[in-house]
This record gives sequence, structure tokens and C-alpha cells, in this order.
Amino acid sequence: MSAYSLSALAFVLFSLAAAGFLTCGSLVRMLMFLELMLNAANIALVTLGPETVSQAYVVMLFAIAAAEAGVGLALIITLASVFKTLEAGNIRELKG
Amino acid sequence: MTLTAAIYLFGGLTALATLLMIFERDPVKAAMLMLAALLSTAGLYLAFSAQLLAALQIILYAGAIMTLFIVAITVTPAAWRDTRTARPAGAVRLKARTLGLAAAAVILAELLKVSAGVKTVTFSPEFSETGTLDLARLLFGRFAFQFELLSLVILAAIVAAVALAAKRKEAQ
Repeated sequence: MSAYSLSALAFVLFSLAAAGFLTCGSLVRMLMFLELMLNAANIALVTLGPETVSQAYVVMLFAIAAAEAGVGLALIITLASVFKTLEAGNIRELKG
Repeated sequence: MTLTAAIYLFGGLTALATLLMIFERDPVKAAMLMLAALLSTAGLYLAFSAQLLAALQIILYAGAIMTLFIVAITVTPAAWRDTRTARPAGAVRLKARTLGLAAAAVILAELLKVSAGVKTVTFSPEFSETGTLDLARLLFGRFAFQFELLSLVILAAIVAAVALAAKRKEAQ
């Protein structure tokens, strides 16, 4: 097994999540795919990096992902209550 | 051999769950598929002999973050979740989807091209004892400052989330 096939696995996961992010219109779904993209980046880090250091980075990235999900969902719920929609295409004004 | 099979199995499961998620219309079912993808990733970490990461993946991603998503889906009214009425016309949607898929394909092709350098590097997965002690030494030694900075990031995220929720309450 080469490191290339492992990195290819992580990149395929990243691209699938990116495809989902780019094709779906719902804000919650976009955040879900964003988390999966971060997850794929974590896998790439574990497979390609030096063992312990990359794992330390991944532990820190877990905390970043949790913070990102918290703020992102708070923003989405606020946006949804103001605009009464969860579709990104229906939110056309910057003023909230 | 077993570990190589496990890597391909869990990797395939994660990819399958992500693919099904793209075509799933119900947000709760999509969240469950995301949970499957995250749990398969935990299995992938186990196959890489990263036991601590597998445990953290289950506790943080599959536990905490998924709970947040389910709560967010639950508290938003069903009328806003029903996206079929607000969607653009079929042709525009198809065009947008094709463009999105093409962009993802370009990203994949470029990533594979960039990583061609590691083609010669071989990886033979072997089960090893957990390196949690080494990881702790790194996190509380060499990366102690970065690790402490993360607590500030999480504090800022909590304050931001509470501030956003309070603003919404005032507006109501």
C-alpha cells in the first residue's frame, strides 16, 4: 500500500464533501459538508504527516471544528429567524 | 493485511455515506448519514493506530457536533426546512449542480496531481500501542502555547454564540 493511495482516499472524501457543499442550497447542509471537508483534511493530516505531531494537530483541529460548528449554527439560526428561510439563494440582503 | 482491508472498508464506507448524503433530501436522514461517515472515520483512525483520535472523533464529532446539528434542525420550523417551494427552476438548478460537480472534480484532479510526489512512499500499516503519552508530551510541552490559545478560540466561539442568541431574543 502506497502513501499515494491513502492520500487519494482523503482527497476523494474531500472532493465528495466539496461537491455536496457546492451543489446544495440549504445552509445547515452546507455547514455539514464543511465539517466533512475538515474531517477529510484531518484524515490527510494523519495519513501523510509524521505520526505524533500530525495527531497533535488533529486534536487541535477537533477543537477548531467544534468552535466553528457552534458559531456557524448560531449564525444560521439567527439568519433563519430573520429571513424565514434556510436557503442560501433566498438571502439576498446584507442587512440582517 | 487485515489493517489494509480495514482502511479500505472504512474509507469506502465514509465515501459512500458522503455520496448518499449529497442525494438525500430529508435533513434528518442526511444528518444520520453524516453520523455514519464520522463513525467510519473513527474506524479509519483505529486502523491507523491512532486510538486517542478515534475516541475523540466519537466523543467530539459524532457526539457533540452531531447533537448541535440535530438541535439546529429541530429548532428551525418545518416550513423553513421545506426547500422545494423556494428552489429555482429546474434548468438553473441543473446548471448549478453541474458547475458544482465540475468544480469538485477539478479540485480532486489538482490534489491528486500535487500529491504525485508521494507515489514512491510506501505505507505498511501495523498495529502499535497507543502513543497517547507522546501526544500529551507534545500538547503540553512543545505545543503548549498553541493548545492554550485554543481555549481562547473556544471561549470566543461561546461568547459569539451567546451574543447572537441574545440579539435574536431582543429582536423578538
